Amino acid sequence: MPKAMTSTRRIKSATGDKIFSLGLLAPAILLTFVFILVPVIDSVIKSFTEYKIKNVISGAPGTWNNFENYIKLFQNDKLMPAIITTFVFVFAVVISQFLIGFILAVILDSKIRGSRFLRSIMMMPWVVPTMISGMVWLWLYQPQYGLLRYLVQVVTGGSVADFAILNNPNTALLGIGIAALWKQVPLTTLLLLAGLQSVPSDMLEAATVDGASALRRFVSIVIPYMMSVIKVTVSMSIIENFKQFPLFWTMTGGGPDGATTTLAILSYREAFVSNDLGSGAAVTTVWMLLMILVVFAYNKIFKAEPMD
Amino acid sequence: MKRRQTLSAILKYFVLAVILLFLLFPLYWVLITSFKTNMEAYAFPPSFLPQAPTVESYIKLFTENNEFFIYYKNNFIISGVSAALTVLVALLSGYALSRFHFRWNAWIVAAFMSAQMFPMISRLISLYGLMRGMKLINTHAGLTLALTAAMLPFSIMLMSSFFDSVPVAVEESARIDGASRFGVLFRIVVPLVKPGILAVGIYSFLLAWDDYLHAATLIQTDSLRTLSIGIALRYLGELSYDWSLINTISIVGTIPMLLLFFFFQKYMVKGLVAGAVKG
Repeated sequence: MPKAMTSTRRIKSATGDKIFSLGLLAPAILLTFVFILVPVIDSVIKSFTEYKIKNVISGAPGTWNNFENYIKLFQNDKLMPAIITTFVFVFAVVISQFLIGFILAVILDSKIRGSRFLRSIMMMPWVVPTMISGMVWLWLYQPQYGLLRYLVQVVTGGSVADFAILNNPNTALLGIGIAALWKQVPLTTLLLLAGLQSVPSDMLEAATVDGASALRRFVSIVIPYMMSVIKVTVSMSIIENFKQFPLFWTMTGGGPDGATTTLAILSYREAFVSNDLGSGAAVTTVWMLLMILVVFAYNKIFKAEPMD
Repeated sequence: MKRRQTLSAILKYFVLAVILLFLLFPLYWVLITSFKTNMEAYAFPPSFLPQAPTVESYIKLFTENNEFFIYYKNNFIISGVSAALTVLVALLSGYALSRFHFRWNAWIVAAFMSAQMFPMISRLISLYGLMRGMKLINTHAGLTLALTAAMLPFSIMLMSSFFDSVPVAVEESARIDGASRFGVLFRIVVPLVKPGILAVGIYSFLLAWDDYLHAATLIQTDSLRTLSIGIALRYLGELSYDWSLINTISIVGTIPMLLLFFFFQKYMVKGLVAGAVKG
């Protein structure tokens, strides 16, 4: 008799748990569904239709147009350059960010004076709003009065008098990349520093006693221990840079001569400047597929390594 | 051996100095430019210390037109409300995901994870039309909801990692004493995850403060605009910029974030590290 009672009570509490748990999750599911999942699916559908600003205003659904949005983007030679620019930017920034962040983290982890204070102030660029980071670097790069022009003039002994990094198609992407690094290196450093501190020190000491060199300790102990942190840090930086929009938009708007037109800029331009939402949606659909591919490939490559 | 050590120490400090210079000098440069007159800001070669420091630009920003303050105020309201909403929703969901392990959890986590990866512009292209239908376009309510949804996935994962560290035994004894489910959650568990609440709250405030794209696409009325888009449209549109003023705006727009960071960095750093390493 008591046994039966506890079992019904357990069933009751299990359904209770279910209802309670679902109830707690409901607001998040609803918000994610309405403001993220539905819009993303809807925009993939729109990418196959002729859907312009007049459809938004009249509420008329888009009409199927036989992949015309995609075909046009390829024929106008808009999509491929944007894909290449995006990849060059992501690749270069992610690698440099990781290297600079790692070097800084290793230095801050070693015994130096004031490292606590330095750890705290080095985070400052990270809290500067992205748009304002763009303005900070616009001012440094300013073609007439900017500090960079002056520095280049001094370093080159006056032979390069008018250095305007953002006005030259060959250097504009570099200019934005530097601003992106400035904003993102602090967080990378912070996460890698946390990873370094999780490496057990007795293990490092034992290796030192056994005569392992600093490099050897680093490769065989520090790196394996940090693998999961490295993996997360790098994937965060890939996603962040793949999505970067405000820096490009405020600093160059995609120019000069399309040199900094990434997928983000192209899709925004198509959708909200040319008011062709269907075409913009086609760009974001390609962009999304590429991002999924990259993240998938990335996870595959890192799978072989020991995790956690 | 001794010499090699000194050399490597010198190299270490040199590299440290170069990286720190790169990270901190631009902020110094902006700060001093904000205290220069335009005359001095445009001087060539530039001065590395303001020759005649002035708060002219600050006065100009505060008095000349009050649009900036409308954007600023809007940014505070939107960021504050989105952060509060994010914390509340993440609290409930994080608890559910941490405490109850049902088959649907994996699906929900997968949905949140993928939601984080979608390009924002993809959502906004469609939200523009969808929110018109819901009468939410060009309203602060709509902007707040869209922003909250965007920040939820990471916040929920972060929050649930904080709940994971609270022992279940605490709750079980309270349940036996007759506390209701909500009573257990709000009176017993929530006080134990205060650091998590702070971490999620500050993180979302920071992200919402940083927003550019949501406001750029979902808001059309100037008086409803937030900081980033307001500045971009009003102060960066003209051909010749008033650089002292721009740098002043950079400083004023960053100060709340710096204060927040320096006051709460303990929680933020711990939270971000926990969330990133787990998520």
